[in-house]
Amino acid sequence: MSTFFTAAHYDGQKAVKRAVEVEVMGPQFYVVENAWRSGPFAFADVAYVTKQGDADVYGLAGHDGWRLILSGPIPADLSAMLPAPRKYGGWVDRLGLGKAAIAFALTSAAAVAVVLFSPQWLAPLIPDSVDDSLGDALVGDFGGRFCHTPAGDAALQKLVASLDDAPQDLRVEVANIDMLNAVALPGGNVILFDGLLKQARSPDEVAGVLAHEIGHVRERHVMQALLRQMGLAVVLGGVDGNSGALVNNMLAMSYSRDAEAEADAYAMQALGSANISPVGTASFFDRLSQLDGSAGVVKDNAGITGYLSSHPLSASRKDAFEKSIVKGKNYKPALTPTEWTELKTMCAQDREAKSGLGFDFN
Amino acid sequence: MLAAKDMGESMNDEQLQPHSAFRFHGSWQEFARIAFPNLLLTIVTLGIYRFWATTREREYLWGKTEFIDERLEWTGRGMELFIGFIMVFVLIGLPFIVIQLVSQGLIFQGVPVLAGLLTFAMFLSLFYLTGVAYFRALRYRLSRTYWRGIRGGSDDPGFQYGLSYNWKWIVGWLPIFLMVPWAMISLWNDRWNAMSFGPHRFSATAQWTPLMKRYLLFYLVPFLIFVGAVIFGISMAASGGAPAAMGGAGMAIGGILAIVAVLIFYIMLPLAALAFYSKYFRLAVGGLRLHTLEFAFRARSVDWVLFFLANMAIIICTLGIGYIFMPYRNWKFFVEHMEAYGEINIDELTQSQTVVEKHGEGLLDAFDVGAI
Repeated sequence: MSTFFTAAHYDGQKAVKRAVEVEVMGPQFYVVENAWRSGPFAFADVAYVTKQGDADVYGLAGHDGWRLILSGPIPADLSAMLPAPRKYGGWVDRLGLGKAAIAFALTSAAAVAVVLFSPQWLAPLIPDSVDDSLGDALVGDFGGRFCHTPAGDAALQKLVASLDDAPQDLRVEVANIDMLNAVALPGGNVILFDGLLKQARSPDEVAGVLAHEIGHVRERHVMQALLRQMGLAVVLGGVDGNSGALVNNMLAMSYSRDAEAEADAYAMQALGSANISPVGTASFFDRLSQLDGSAGVVKDNAGITGYLSSHPLSASRKDAFEKSIVKGKNYKPALTPTEWTELKTMCAQDREAKSGLGFDFN
Repeated sequence: MLAAKDMGESMNDEQLQPHSAFRFHGSWQEFARIAFPNLLLTIVTLGIYRFWATTREREYLWGKTEFIDERLEWTGRGMELFIGFIMVFVLIGLPFIVIQLVSQGLIFQGVPVLAGLLTFAMFLSLFYLTGVAYFRALRYRLSRTYWRGIRGGSDDPGFQYGLSYNWKWIVGWLPIFLMVPWAMISLWNDRWNAMSFGPHRFSATAQWTPLMKRYLLFYLVPFLIFVGAVIFGISMAASGGAPAAMGGAGMAIGGILAIVAVLIFYIMLPLAALAFYSKYFRLAVGGLRLHTLEFAFRARSVDWVLFFLANMAIIICTLGIGYIFMPYRNWKFFVEHMEAYGEINIDELTQSQTVVEKHGEGLLDAFDVGAI
């Protein structure tokens, strides 16, 4: 018993179009044009290709270019044997556009959430050896830019030891670079730039900045940021370049703001237990705020500009450090005047330390 | 035999055969029903759906394009483009991130020369891969384009083309960019000469010398404006009417002139660039043959200018949403100006025996140099 349907057909061998009849025999069928007959083919091998006008176009597995073009409504007997039309692609067609969109949105939100929050728990699980070798690879001897004198090193060591209980895991160095900055890098590396030492008016100011960077190390912020950046790069890898980078930067920035606040809190505590006054750090941020212009911002509006910069506004940090002053506490200077002079002039004294950034080729 | 359009036709015969061998039947309303769901799905999947979105758009655009008497068919799959993207990410993206980290570390450690060499090597290999990407994208698109059940393709993997791409562009740039038209045409020919459709190989024999006049026009616009400004200034000074001598009014005139000069620069330069590109595309397509078929692209500079102005107007007036219609606009512009002459023997047009790669144009996608 066989049924016939009319259709257009390309056999995929030649570009000749045939007006054929589809002869259905159970799970198989032939295509027939007058005396020309091709088949049998299995319905199981038929794949939906596309819709062309009011016609549905089907292909056949293993037959390149083989096409069966059925115009108009397909008879129920035949349509039961043929694969369903495809519109958006597998999952969306199965769920429907609305439900699929909601499901995708939830999955995306979950993926972003995992990437944002997991580094906090993952970072401590990264073995110290990995952290150390990453630090060594990044920092090394910093191109010979680290300054050393016996007295300066001793002063720096004293400062570190007063701020941290386990100074042996830390590697604090002074780099002969004239920038008002300090950085925390993987492997417990902290680098103070000589420009910062020159600008500082007291050892207490340097102690505050150093405690802040040690805070980054102890809170494992560097490894967290690395993991988060890598995760975001993967998750947002599908987004077009510019918008992806924008979202990435905004997310990363809001996290670095949290990290800065955490490091500040750590610094205040460390200064407190070292008996070093936070006044110096506060006045240091006060001078910085004159530089970045945030002193002029009305406090109620500070949220907007503060949100856009990766560091909290210097002015608000100054307030925080001022508030951490304990009245009547007997603070002592972080270093003696001699030690402070030795540290401040370490780079000037060390003739072997190279200067400047790595970009000049001399 | 199917006649595309006779070669020797004059303009008067147009009434007899009013349309080109290529006809476009799409409408932007229909396209909107694809483009808006695409936008939604692309956003909620953080961009991953865009491979399937591209595929749906191409299915529609190809299916609405008629060549002689039958529609084209796009058989590429979103998954292929996705796999291509993942391959590029793993094979090229990740190694490059590592190289960048290493070279940053090298700068930190005071070996900037080594870091510079590493960065240069990275740049060179990207340059090479861009060429390979252009080639493979064209190959991929031809292998997924069917007409009457027959597809195109190429057996050349494009690695050799990547080298040609490098040396020809370098030769194009070296004589103060004067050989750029030669590089463009010569690479177009290289690319298309490696492609085929059905059993027939494309032949691309476009000439680059007719392109030089337009190129020099584009090349010289900045100089002409500069020379014009200098001559104007000298004549002003010679006639004793230097702007400064005229006080406030003179300053105002000077300011207006400066603005006019800047406007001329920003309007003339894109216009000259479009005039050049229009000629390039006409020459390139005009040099293309497939067995007994010849091709032509009829858009003149004016058409290109109007096309770009309309695109800009659409994007601005819709506050950017109109951007999702650009694939539709580009394809429509392309098809409506394409023309083919000659005849095809349908019995001779047999299936292509070229290899079919299972991955899409990931490279091109990654380098953001997608064409149409």
